Amino acid sequence: MSLRAKSLIFRIIVEILLILLSLLIIVPLLLMLLGSFMNSVEVMQFRIQLPEKWLFSNYLTVFEKGGLGRAFLNGIVITAISCIVNIVTSSAAAFILARRESKLSSFLYLFFFMGLIAPMSTITTIRVVQWMGFYGSITSVVFIYAALNTAFSIFLYTGFVKSLPRALDEAAFIEGANIFQVYFRIVTPLLLPVNATVAIMVFMGVWNDITIPLYFLPDSSNWTMPLSVYNFYGMYSREWNLIFADLVLTSLPVIILYVFAQRFIVSGMTAGAMKG
Amino acid sequence: MHNSKNMYPYYLVLPALLIYFIFFAFPALIGFYYSFTDWRLDRYTIQFIGWANFERIFSDKILLLAIQNTLIFAVVTVIGKNVLGLLLALGLNMKLKTRNLLRAIYFSPSILSILVISIVFTPILRTEGMLNGLFEWLGFESLTQAWLTNPSIVIWTISAVAIWSGAGFQMTIYLAGLQGISKEYYEAAKIDGASSWRSFWNITLPLLLPALNINLMLTLIGGLKVFSEVYVLTGGGPGNASQVVGTIILRAFGEGNWGLGTAVNTLLFVCVAIIAVPLIIFMRRKEVAE
Repeated sequence: MSLRAKSLIFRIIVEILLILLSLLIIVPLLLMLLGSFMNSVEVMQFRIQLPEKWLFSNYLTVFEKGGLGRAFLNGIVITAISCIVNIVTSSAAAFILARRESKLSSFLYLFFFMGLIAPMSTITTIRVVQWMGFYGSITSVVFIYAALNTAFSIFLYTGFVKSLPRALDEAAFIEGANIFQVYFRIVTPLLLPVNATVAIMVFMGVWNDITIPLYFLPDSSNWTMPLSVYNFYGMYSREWNLIFADLVLTSLPVIILYVFAQRFIVSGMTAGAMKG
Repeated sequence: MHNSKNMYPYYLVLPALLIYFIFFAFPALIGFYYSFTDWRLDRYTIQFIGWANFERIFSDKILLLAIQNTLIFAVVTVIGKNVLGLLLALGLNMKLKTRNLLRAIYFSPSILSILVISIVFTPILRTEGMLNGLFEWLGFESLTQAWLTNPSIVIWTISAVAIWSGAGFQMTIYLAGLQGISKEYYEAAKIDGASSWRSFWNITLPLLLPALNINLMLTLIGGLKVFSEVYVLTGGGPGNASQVVGTIILRAFGEGNWGLGTAVNTLLFVCVAIIAVPLIIFMRRKEVAE
């Protein structure tokens, strides 16, 4: 047998194995998706099969019973504002840190970098937020998410700014531009792909998180989708069709984001990772 | 004439620095102090009590079990996510007809909330659930287990779910590393008569080292910080069999044992730093050497 034929057969075997293995990923997700359209008896069989009748009404039911409208809005507000705060502050800071070459700037970079490693100190953070008098508010959670994502964002932005030629801003300075003009007119347009990446990464992290609301939002009317879903799961633990519909609804925004912005997610993750 | 001092003012760093300091770094720093106090819900005055919290951590059976579970989870998921991630990346770096679809499928759990994944796995892993049903149907009755209620295997089950959801993320980073390796190396090796095993060992692995390093670090730190999987799948149970550091902190917080909870957090911080800092220094040195 020729070498070519051998490698072709090897490739086919690998492909078949990988397709079979991918069932392991597909089956649980399909269980959720198909189950979300079944009636409450049918779903309890936990089988991969098409629903006898497609009950789209399950989605309406969970939306009403689970108070998801509120949770959805909370999620959008918290996620969007922490994204914006994070992007504006981190990109500005990274721009300076990347351009300055002093001991202070490398110390600050290292200080931010520690945030990639250090676990958050939850209980003392609650203390600090209480001292400031806004424990339990959506505002406090926005700042906490912005802070938690600062390290990663600065890391991404600094790497990118360093790849932009300095001559670009120097030329502008010579023509009399000030730092804000340089930052907004020259650097920001070039940072757009990184902004997209950071926005998506922060969005997915914040949208999917349950830890911060668990500690920082004692009032359930401020909760985001996942924690509301968890609560719903505790209350309606026998109606799996509704639970599955709830899970699908929670995942929908990130799935849509993934479908349309896949390029930025993968490039951002890997760029950040490879520069490390 | 144009020195960088005046051109790039530090006050632009200030907003990010303030947010990061107030809501992340400062709480972490005062955490070190509070770890040595008897800070509790019902006390008005806080007293310095030396190492008492740490002595309690290392004499309390549940707390010790939580530390042990965290270490098991971290080690198992580091190995599982990286071995599987690397194998998937190697497979999906070949010219397969379905490779784009397969990459998307394997990556898809990474975008979902851990909460979603954990709830979906509950009916699968229950004793009378789908997985055991599948084993019975296939005739492997001996493999059936009480996956989530047997104290001696529950942490392994949770680790397996974490590997299921995370291996695709590691795969993506390995794939990026593989795509950065020039084909010429392999062609040259082929001309020299190297076997594919040898070229994997001598070309692929060394050039994949940055991706390997970053993946090891991400999975290890992530593993030590584990919380949501355990919280949703078992809540630390049955009994306290699957408690980890993350769930212990929540419990201490709920019971009002704030000093103790902070001490557990500090311990986690120190462990993560001991592991991560040498890794980072090693990686930086490597980069300079290149």
